[in-house]
Amino acid sequence: MSEHFRAFSFVDRIHSIQPGARIRGSYTIPPSLPDFPPSLVAEAVGQLAAWAAMAAVDFQCRPVAGIAAEIHLLSPVRPGQLLELAADLESVDNEAVSYDGTAHADGVPVIRLQHCVGPMLPLETFDDPQKLRDRFALLQAAGATPGAFGGLPPLPLLIHSSDAIGQTLRATLHVPPSAPFFGDHFPRRPAFPGALLMKSNLELAASLAEHLPQPATGGKWVPQAASDMKLRSFTLPGETLEMKASLSRISSNEAIINVETRKGAQLAGSVRVLLSAEEKP
Amino acid sequence: MGNSIITKEEIMTVYPKAAAAMADALGCDAEKVKLDSSLIDDLGAESIDFLDIVFRLERAFKVKIPRGRIVEEARGDLSEAEFSKGGVVTDAGVERLRAYLSEVPAERFPAPLKVADIPRLFTSETFCKMVIRQQRAAAAAGGTQPV
Repeated sequence: MSEHFRAFSFVDRIHSIQPGARIRGSYTIPPSLPDFPPSLVAEAVGQLAAWAAMAAVDFQCRPVAGIAAEIHLLSPVRPGQLLELAADLESVDNEAVSYDGTAHADGVPVIRLQHCVGPMLPLETFDDPQKLRDRFALLQAAGATPGAFGGLPPLPLLIHSSDAIGQTLRATLHVPPSAPFFGDHFPRRPAFPGALLMKSNLELAASLAEHLPQPATGGKWVPQAASDMKLRSFTLPGETLEMKASLSRISSNEAIINVETRKGAQLAGSVRVLLSAEEKP
Repeated sequence: MGNSIITKEEIMTVYPKAAAAMADALGCDAEKVKLDSSLIDDLGAESIDFLDIVFRLERAFKVKIPRGRIVEEARGDLSEAEFSKGGVVTDAGVERLRAYLSEVPAERFPAPLKVADIPRLFTSETFCKMVIRQQRAAAAAGGTQPV
């Protein structure tokens, strides 16, 4: 079975759309999954915005992940929950789309994206424009059958021992040469999803946070937001990414960790992770 | 919109906030963003950074900055064929660019100048002037441009 619209698609229905302005949709997290990380919730919002952007330019271009000024991780989600997705476009043209977006589950806000920018690239280099038009029509009509996403393959982060404990932490991610999500992201130009890079960056920041002085609350450090996220290049199947997390600032109840991702000498991405102190249970 | 004179005073009015936006986009200290800094050659900007800078400037100054307009405005009444041939800017095109990008020192214009290399000429002052032009356009239209 083709992985197209299955292995990395997180919009089941489009409920309403004002061309070039706003779009509302939903996605049911398959109940069989062990979990659904916040990076995939962010991806769902981004995908909803992408549908609006593609429709606005008559499917000549599609956006790719580029910049997210702020991603607020408000609440975790559970498999089986229905995500209510919303995106408001500030602008869209053949060069870029800029948007804000949110996701709610059971009426609770779970993520908020602010000032996101996606460069627009020729759609036909990524996918069949007619298939996307047909999918767009389906999403607005009956909707897609929920449950197609079967989860992520293991993406182990190889964390290296640090010579500056509590200050920096390095890790290697070997992007798999093949994986189901490549069939959907994207059929004609497989690329490692920015959302999965974000997932790995958050994991590395959390790992570094385990070595920080315990916060004043006596609890753990928990990622609350990601800011100034920027993706500079595509990561192809089989490539190796080197990540470095560095403590930027720490107070009694807040810590900021910068994470940079490189392919060789080239900076591939960067993000700032804000962690706050969880109350001791 | 043309290229009516933009004074140094106007530039210095917007420069601090513009420099901060550029520094945030490039992940560097604002002190590194000098007026004559080439965004690509001195500050290491890539295409994604140009997008980031434009959107940050739009938010900071509450203006709409049309993307890709610099070349179009520099070209003026020259046709595209008169401005460049085979991806290389013509002598007439370079003359228009020099006048429009008056903040760029003459020695930074390579000969020949490829169209694809025009963004290498852009400095922080170039973006300050972009903001000022849009502010003027908004004022002429009778209010703040909707972003």
